[in-house]
Amino acid sequence: MPEWLLKDENYQPLPDRDTFIDKSILSLLRILSRIRAQSGYTGGKYSVHAPWKVAGTFLLIVLLSLSRNLWFLAAVGAYLLAALSMMPAERILRILKTGLVIAFFSFLVLLPSFFMGNRYSLVMIPLKTLATVTAVGILSHTTGWHCVTGALKSFFIPDIFIFVLDITIKYIVLLGELSLDLFYSLKLRSVGKNTGKYSSLSGIAGTLFLRSKEMAEDMYSAMECRGFTGSYRVRRRFRFTAADFLYVMVHAAFIAIFVYLG
Amino acid sequence: MIELNDVSYSYEGIPALKHIGLRIEKGESVALMGVNGSGKSTLLKLLNGIIFPDGGEYRFAGESITRKKMQDPVFSKRFHQRIGFVFQNSDTQLFCSDVYDEIAFGPRQMGMDESEVEKRVEDCLALLNIRDFRHRQPYHLSGGEKKKVAIACVLALNPEVLVFDEPLNGLDPRTQRWFVSFLIQLHESGKTLISSTHDLEMVQEIAGRAVLFDENHTISADKPAQELLEDTELLKKANLIDEYYHRHPGSGHQHFHIHPF
Amino acid sequence: MHIPDNYLSPATCAALGAAVVPVWAVSVKKVKKEITRAKMPLLGIGASFSFLMMMFNVPLPGGTTGHAVGGTLLAILLGPFSACISVSVALLIQALFFGDGGILSFGANCFNMAFVLPFVGYFIYKFIKDRVRSEKGEYLGIVIGSYIGINAAALCAAIEFGIQPLLFRDAAGQALYSPYPLSVAIPAMLIPHLLVAGVVEAAFTAAIFAFIKKVSPGTIYEGAKEKSKAVYGLLAALILLTPLGLLATGTAWGEWGADEIGEVVSNGKALGFIPQGMQNGFSFEAMMPDYSVGGIPEVAGYILSAVAGVAVLLIVFKIVSSLKKNTHGVHE
Repeated sequence: MPEWLLKDENYQPLPDRDTFIDKSILSLLRILSRIRAQSGYTGGKYSVHAPWKVAGTFLLIVLLSLSRNLWFLAAVGAYLLAALSMMPAERILRILKTGLVIAFFSFLVLLPSFFMGNRYSLVMIPLKTLATVTAVGILSHTTGWHCVTGALKSFFIPDIFIFVLDITIKYIVLLGELSLDLFYSLKLRSVGKNTGKYSSLSGIAGTLFLRSKEMAEDMYSAMECRGFTGSYRVRRRFRFTAADFLYVMVHAAFIAIFVYLG
Repeated sequence: MIELNDVSYSYEGIPALKHIGLRIEKGESVALMGVNGSGKSTLLKLLNGIIFPDGGEYRFAGESITRKKMQDPVFSKRFHQRIGFVFQNSDTQLFCSDVYDEIAFGPRQMGMDESEVEKRVEDCLALLNIRDFRHRQPYHLSGGEKKKVAIACVLALNPEVLVFDEPLNGLDPRTQRWFVSFLIQLHESGKTLISSTHDLEMVQEIAGRAVLFDENHTISADKPAQELLEDTELLKKANLIDEYYHRHPGSGHQHFHIHPF
Repeated sequence: MHIPDNYLSPATCAALGAAVVPVWAVSVKKVKKEITRAKMPLLGIGASFSFLMMMFNVPLPGGTTGHAVGGTLLAILLGPFSACISVSVALLIQALFFGDGGILSFGANCFNMAFVLPFVGYFIYKFIKDRVRSEKGEYLGIVIGSYIGINAAALCAAIEFGIQPLLFRDAAGQALYSPYPLSVAIPAMLIPHLLVAGVVEAAFTAAIFAFIKKVSPGTIYEGAKEKSKAVYGLLAALILLTPLGLLATGTAWGEWGADEIGEVVSNGKALGFIPQGMQNGFSFEAMMPDYSVGGIPEVAGYILSAVAGVAVLLIVFKIVSSLKKNTHGVHE
């Protein structure tokens, strides 16, 4: 045993500006907890099937974007609020928080244009943004990942693309946990002044990349062992329930309102 | 050295630790035992200041470790220097492009001059018997070699407390033996060791004391390792062993054993 | 640089979406040929890598942090075609599940960040590397390529923003989408990218490349040796021409009269009807209520406020009771 290891270190650290570690940890944690929560979402008894939801949300977003009428926005807003009110509180909070933050940011960005004489955008764009983000939030907070990606199949999106999307989500979790641990390790070992922050960070990213590549190769071998030949089929059963019918009617009504109000 | 008073922690509503009380003195070697998911790893994260208790208090060397205190960079860096963590998966611990830089990462940060850094790195390389890997890339080493590099880079900080998460996982039997004797050596040189494990053989060799976690995320036993291992009823209750488990009667040690000294 | 919805007109979004589709098609074809089936999962895993890269906070001078996009890096590591697909998938997940970037503007975001960024970055990298044949040349290529790549993407985004007020105004002259003209949008987007984001991107790209090259040099994309020039020349031309084309098609779109709009193809579907508001023109004053104007019957207004009111009450009630539960949980 070397001498230095036998006695306690008498060491006074110098402060260092390394908030990037904590910030990266936070954003990774946010992503991971979001994905974990998402994988548990099942529709419940009265749920609308995912393809309708995806189509309906897309329709609303298009109409919102085209509309110039505050009343149309108000109608969509009332509908979104009603849909929100049927969800559990913590999801409502998450959805509203995202929407409000983005809408407020929009408002700040557009504020200068108000003084250039643009009153329309200052009101309409943040409101539309709030509505759009809320609509997407409701979709993604009530529908599991695989239902959404599976729904894309109904819109003639190639299977291979859906396959890639599914792998991506899975590996965001795996690789996200790996990078989270790498950041923890960097944090625990950052006991002083790090003069090579970029090389530490690029070490993490580089390790992540190499690991990704290895995982991809392993995955293909595993798929081939299970009989994968290069094409991937997504299966979906078509059902149409009362909830679906109601959902479709509500959205058809929005088209009517849109045409009526413009 | 370490004091946990009524500590609880949960992941998004799912409890991982419930009302844990634990005291570990300087120079002790403690093994944390329990089935997968009983909260061992969570406790190790908490001890290292990666997560903070939802309820109760964690004190390290007399100082309460809280999220707020750890936001002070000087305090947190000093804390991290005094307690070192060897992750279960060494892959997640290594991010430098060669072994030398990996081990030198800590000492360099501590403001040592390069000759001192070199001495430390060389000592660590020698201690772990990995001198030949000096200029290899950690990424391409084997599992056992990676583990050694990970330990070396924690050791280079000269922490007072060393925490190991499942240190024997994924190592071949020979490396496991080497590792056990290395831990004994570390303990004898005055380090405080905390290891989580479900390897019952290892417990009795390296740890004077064993703490058993049950599936309810609480501590169900805390006694000398030898005593705990003999209490098969308790181990069964914690689901660590089943009815087929038996220890060879008479001698306590029936397996291969290397005495380092 | 993630453009949210409602800043670009649906027409612009459709035009950019239409511009990306052939890029995707070519990329898929190229990827299939280049990396063989054996590496197909790489696309998904590359996408997750790209997604996570955008989560990394890069330290900036002064202790603050910024983000890198990593488009050029991926193009250098996996090839530009794989990078295009990987970044697109990462952007789709961000838009669908994290509210980062819009749904309609997905095409625009892909155009900027999954097409322009990696291809420009890679093209410049390759151009420099092929001419300065040394290690220095390679790193010079990486730094300049990634720096210009991200700035080119930012410029495209700025142009997309900037043409909105030129093309899409109501009768009262109010901008309908992003209100800032090119003279504001370009400096607003480019100055921070030239000064900060570009530097971060270049430094990060070079550092990661150096790490990977040292640790595992075999994993870096080699690229097709032959006829790359023609392809890149074509791409460069395409990139240069697209903003112009966009401006041209956009003008046409913006200038449609109300009678033509029934035939407008928007997002791949004919609208098939004439928004009434367009026929009557639009006036901001008319939109702000005394609660019975704007073309909505009084009864409908009441119903609307009733629905919204009940929903708001329910939401408030739920949130308040959940907060109560949480505080109880902590104190117990």
